[in-house]
Amino acid sequence: MSGNGPSDAFEEINSEELLADLLSGGGTGQKAFARLVRITHNRFLGFIQRHLASPEECREVLQETYLAVHKGLPGFAGKSKLSTWVYSLAHHKICDRLADRDRRHQELTETHEGALTTEANQADRLAPVTAWDAAPDRVAARSAVETLIGKAIEALPPQARLVYQLRDVEDLSGEEAAVLMGITPENVRVQLHRARRQIVDWVQEKLSRVGTER
Amino acid sequence: MSGWFYKVAYPCEQAREFMYDYLDGQLPMFKQFRFQIHLNGCTECREYYLLYKKAAHAYEFRKENPPPSEFLEHTLDFLRKEGIVGDDDPATAPESNPVVQS
Repeated sequence: MSGNGPSDAFEEINSEELLADLLSGGGTGQKAFARLVRITHNRFLGFIQRHLASPEECREVLQETYLAVHKGLPGFAGKSKLSTWVYSLAHHKICDRLADRDRRHQELTETHEGALTTEANQADRLAPVTAWDAAPDRVAARSAVETLIGKAIEALPPQARLVYQLRDVEDLSGEEAAVLMGITPENVRVQLHRARRQIVDWVQEKLSRVGTER
Repeated sequence: MSGWFYKVAYPCEQAREFMYDYLDGQLPMFKQFRFQIHLNGCTECREYYLLYKKAAHAYEFRKENPPPSEFLEHTLDFLRKEGIVGDDDPATAPESNPVVQS
């Protein structure tokens, strides 16, 4: 069962020692920040990648997240884990980016009436993310069920997708996810169970359709 | 187990509602027992449970897709230009970082 929190290496960013170094500024602070980036980079890139399709956008949002971390560090009160706080910053940046995109889409739609449809915008946002290593042999090696689960995650409503990703993909604890989402741990539990069931129902439906077509 | 007996333990919908707590080890012992009886007898719920468990363990297949190492260096270069990070020793900095493809 997940929920024991991220891996040990990742957990290192929650150490008091690293936090003290980060806050100390100067050369020590810079080195500590580089360490923070090395430990967390792929994890947060993956988190962002699951919300935004374009690799370029993912990189930009990740950079914006680290800038926000650096700016906000002096005010970090330690009420939550550092990792939870960084997740929340990343999530805000993702939301900002999606809101920008919606705004731009709105402007475009108004300018070129009927040129773009809401469905097209939605399809763009939910477009399957291209794997970093999308070599055909690697893709083929992934189990069909895992691939279907990946697609089912994309089909989840935003709130369900977020709770599922935080708990079952990012492996945050219920308490951490609750802090990040601003809801109670019990709500996280209820929403997570519902999200899992939606995923299973979706996958089963696809599998049964494949079975019928054969 | 065969026949109708497992349905006495729990109806399917109720068994499915218990999957979260069962997986989390939070289902009381007597309910666990009845849940297992149901699962042993009900093929549909057993398949459902296996999928549910797979979905709940998505972090396990997160490890598949680490991005190219240039991505990390690109980010570090950007932060160096911003004066946020200095030169560090990558050898002492573990990279955690599994990435999942959803």
